Amino acid sequence: MQLDFATKELTIKLVYYGPALSGKTTNLQALHAAAAGEVKGRLMTLDTKDDRTLFFDLLPLSFEDKTGLSVRLKVFTVPGQVIHASTRRLVVQGADGVAFIADSRVSETDTNAESFLDLRDNLRVQGIRLEEMPLVIQFNKRDLPGVRPEAEVAQMAAGGREPVYLGVATQGLGVVECFIGLLFCTWQKLEQQNALSEKFGFDGEAFIEHVARQLGSTTPVAELLAQAVGGNVALRKGRST
Amino acid sequence: MSLIHKSLNELTMQQEFTLEELLDVAVLSEMTSSFEQLFGVAVRLYSAGGSLLADTRTPPRFYACLDETKPGRQAVQAVILAVRSQVVKVGQHELIPCPSGGSYLISAIAHEGKVMGKIILGPFLSPDAQAPPESTWSLVMEASHDQALLAWQSIPKLEAKQVMKLDQHLRNTLDLLIFSGLKAHLASSMHMNTVQENFRELSDKNKKLQVAYDRLKELDRLKSNFLATVSHELRTPLTSIIGYSEMMIEGISGEINEEQREFLNTIHEKGEQLLELIKSLLDLSKLESGTMSLRRAPVDCGHLVEQVVKTLTPAALKRGVKLVAEVEVGVPSLQGDADRLRQVLNNLTENALKFTAEGGMVVVSTRNVGLVADDMGGLGGALLGATQRPAIELRVTDTGIGIPESERERVFDAFYQVDSSSTREVGGTGLGLSIVKRLVDAHDGTVRVESNKPRGSSFIVVLPILHRAP
Repeated sequence: MQLDFATKELTIKLVYYGPALSGKTTNLQALHAAAAGEVKGRLMTLDTKDDRTLFFDLLPLSFEDKTGLSVRLKVFTVPGQVIHASTRRLVVQGADGVAFIADSRVSETDTNAESFLDLRDNLRVQGIRLEEMPLVIQFNKRDLPGVRPEAEVAQMAAGGREPVYLGVATQGLGVVECFIGLLFCTWQKLEQQNALSEKFGFDGEAFIEHVARQLGSTTPVAELLAQAVGGNVALRKGRST
Repeated sequence: MSLIHKSLNELTMQQEFTLEELLDVAVLSEMTSSFEQLFGVAVRLYSAGGSLLADTRTPPRFYACLDETKPGRQAVQAVILAVRSQVVKVGQHELIPCPSGGSYLISAIAHEGKVMGKIILGPFLSPDAQAPPESTWSLVMEASHDQALLAWQSIPKLEAKQVMKLDQHLRNTLDLLIFSGLKAHLASSMHMNTVQENFRELSDKNKKLQVAYDRLKELDRLKSNFLATVSHELRTPLTSIIGYSEMMIEGISGEINEEQREFLNTIHEKGEQLLELIKSLLDLSKLESGTMSLRRAPVDCGHLVEQVVKTLTPAALKRGVKLVAEVEVGVPSLQGDADRLRQVLNNLTENALKFTAEGGMVVVSTRNVGLVADDMGGLGGALLGATQRPAIELRVTDTGIGIPESERERVFDAFYQVDSSSTREVGGTGLGLSIVKRLVDAHDGTVRVESNKPRGSSFIVVLPILHRAP
């Protein structure tokens, strides 16, 4: 997070993590497509080879709060392939929140787990415990055959701490929900650490509501958040509308 | 400073870069020139820090006429200052009037809501302007009026709306340039940082490996010390055992019967065997710790070969193996320790006899091999040719069981035996060859094993004739 008191600018870094080919870039593309023209910057795709991310993708989103605070969200993806470990470590540096994009297929179970442990290790190198990192999980590719049944995902999610979303990023399904969930978790953490509402009179929940509208969703945020299966730790605290 | 050296966070989160760092200023001037040619309006680009990035090629001719009088000059300077110091916010425009009656349009170059610089378009006149304002004529010298009018007429006439469109076009173009410039710099910076990160990771691992390696070396040293101490301590009581059994055999302590003599002989013989083994261990530990010193003197290797063969012939006869010495005529003597070299030949020959079955043959030979290069695998022959040295070869060839190719490097390791089951059959400590290797190393020579086709092995020792001081 970067906070510039003089210009009243807040920059938040959100990172989409996950194994190779789980749909991180596709999530970003879907977000870019959903976002209203005035809030989105160009989606920057840095160096790809055969459609595989080599460094990262970056989607900048900027919003103006009623209080005059300008909030920029920089949404990154990491390269998923195992060999790009050091690049992943560089990209995840300074992240305020992480969305872990998993492949729903049962055959990818081990790959998902490996990538999750890789995330834990890469954060640990920077002295950050995964438990402290605002985190949401998306089970992507729900439209493919051989995916873990929803009931099973829900059951597994109930055992975890993080909100879990289902998605089909190629069709834009579940993408905004997951993003809003991530923003919400991240917001709660930043608020707790920096007391932004106190310092700026910033209304975080109203802001997230605004972001959801700008991403083309008409569903109230509380409902978007409630679409998570399991991991109902912090989310219920959200303002009900 | 180049943007390549900035981190990902500095470039993306803090947007710590300026237009002059990001854009190629020379290329930018080409773009503004071509813009001016196309639309007739002059363009100036300033970075947020106030430095000029691109300019029109010539100042407006009309200003040259104003420059001739002091008030005219002041008016021009005032407008230039006003234009340069004008602050514009993202998405806003400012119009600054100029003495020609026209104006400048100023807008912000922004990247993600942050002002990076400004665009100045103009001066331009309204399409219905007929002449410069009356007040301006007083700033021009009487004699230059015609010229000034001509210059004034060359100022482009455009609707403000049109200029705004041009400005929008320019901003879009610059936005693209900034985007691709930033993208290129991010890619380079990521390349750079990834390499650094990989290097850091490898250095960390190397450090850990070095620590582990140092520890192993220390353990190895402790092992050698232990061997030296233990062998020494073992030798002392053994000397008494051998000595007293010898005295009893000689009858010093009185008559002994045949059975007692047989037992004492066994005690004496096994005691001697044990002493040999302990000596080998001592040698090895001395060699490993580097405390063994060689007594160098001219050594006649032919003589050495004959001596060793003579000594071991009884043992060979006992095993039914033929032992032959082959000495080339004219083998020069070399600088070395005769006792140690005899030990080398002795160990190799005993070894060969041990592994050769009845009816086989062991040949011990020596010959002159001429110049031998230092062991660089032929690398840099032109440079290293000077280091070639005359050498002689000692060779022990048997028709024994042979050594598989994969084992040939390892036979020189201490305690290593190709087939540990054969130890019981043929005896030995597994130290002989490792002592050979260390003694040959101490003589600056090499030892290797080759197959003696179709059966058996050849141990080849190459020794330089002259000792080169280390």
